[in-house]
Amino acid sequence: MSDDANQRSLNRNALTAVTFVEIVDTLVDDFDVIDVLTVLTSRSVELLEAAAAGILLADTAGHLRVMAASTEQIELLELFQIQNDQGPCLDCFNTGAVIVHADLETASPWPQFAAECVKAGFPSVCAVPLRLRDVILGCLNLFMSTPVSLSAADVALAQALADVASIAIIQDQATREAAIREGQLQHALNSRIAIEQAKGMLAERGRVDMDTAFSILRRFARNNNRGLTEVAGALVAGTLNIDSLARERRPPPPPPAPPSAPRRDL
Amino acid sequence: MNADQSLRIAVAFAREAAKSPEARLCSACVDVLDVTGAGITIMGGGGGGHAGPICVSNPRMAALEDLQYAIGEGPCQDAFKSNMFVHAPRLDVAAATLWPSFVDLAHSTGVGAVFAYPLSANGAKIGVLTLYQDDAGELSATQHEDSIAMVEVLTETVLSLQDAAPVGTLAADLDDVVAYRAEIHQASGMVSVQLQLPVAEALLRIRAYAFADGRPLGVVAREIVTRRLRLADDRVDLPRDPKEGE
Repeated sequence: MSDDANQRSLNRNALTAVTFVEIVDTLVDDFDVIDVLTVLTSRSVELLEAAAAGILLADTAGHLRVMAASTEQIELLELFQIQNDQGPCLDCFNTGAVIVHADLETASPWPQFAAECVKAGFPSVCAVPLRLRDVILGCLNLFMSTPVSLSAADVALAQALADVASIAIIQDQATREAAIREGQLQHALNSRIAIEQAKGMLAERGRVDMDTAFSILRRFARNNNRGLTEVAGALVAGTLNIDSLARERRPPPPPPAPPSAPRRDL
Repeated sequence: MNADQSLRIAVAFAREAAKSPEARLCSACVDVLDVTGAGITIMGGGGGGHAGPICVSNPRMAALEDLQYAIGEGPCQDAFKSNMFVHAPRLDVAAATLWPSFVDLAHSTGVGAVFAYPLSANGAKIGVLTLYQDDAGELSATQHEDSIAMVEVLTETVLSLQDAAPVGTLAADLDDVVAYRAEIHQASGMVSVQLQLPVAEALLRIRAYAFADGRPLGVVAREIVTRRLRLADDRVDLPRDPKEGE
């Protein structure tokens, strides 16, 4: 029996449990948010009475982007919502409320989207928010192939799946942000250390004291329109020839030496 | 972090508010965690080495933090490399096998137990909080839990200090970390030109010399910068009699 067949043979409760474990697992290991969202769309289709699913997430500027879709056709329908600025997902994202529309062939607030959706074979839609407390991250769109409303139990399950996926997304953002901040700190530390190392190199090569070495470094950076830390880094890395700097002697009045701060213990 | 922990950490920070920000961190740790001493070290700066201690709660601990920086050995190093806390409740033979020089100095300065926690949050790893106890023995469960809560606060505090600095420059409070070690970095630059070595390798040579000579890295670095010492090329540097040191 294939894996797919195995999956289908599980009853819905067991599959629900497996799905939650699958999504929660992504929280402990290295993971790719797109993977999590793709799992969410495909499991939504398997678990719920939905024919297809798609996910939109807001980027840092607050614009919605298609992040996952169970089929190519759904990706196009999601894009259609964004481009025409109308559809259940946008309403869901803007209000944070679950949007259920059982029959798009009758009146709907989104005439262009409804027409496209019905044409694609999905007369019934539902959108649940991806949210963390008050923050709406995006939404999960479910598409049904018959004009029936998704049951209350299915909507509740869809929301629970969306909630778990939201935690994964938030965790991923926190990790990325922390990595950026760590990188900035390390970069600033390394740059600062490189300046001291470069001073030592120049002092040795030119047989001058550290203050003069620093003047040479600054002068070279200024004369060549380069940053001080960049020049220091290049010198330390060996990508800049020390003798091209050592020629930058004879500065006018020496600029003030960097303060050698006393250590602040206690 | 539970409400009780947050409250105690907040009170300790508030109490220390009059002191300089980075020193506040160490004093707050000693206060909240009820230990003899604490040191915070920021890692970084080329080749995965230390940037150096950012603060220590008292001079005895400063010597131990410095030693770990100088020779790259000790619980602080291990905690950072493994990204897990390292508990040494007894500085016995087993500990001395792991960190011979560190345990030696700990004995002579009267430190009986050391506990190191990596400063990390959301996968970012920036340094280590090291706790020192005069008496041997494990931390209590509360001290351990509070320490884990504390490293979160410390990591966020250090990253926030840097967030506030102009892009590409080091926050003033963190700049002291480098300034304190300026001569070591300058000496590395000088030796790299003298011996035509990469700077990171030059630092290793200076460290090895200081260690073999039984003298603090900072003292050796100063001698190099003032041109009273020049490391020999092409052979093992023979230290003088260690008894002459200091």
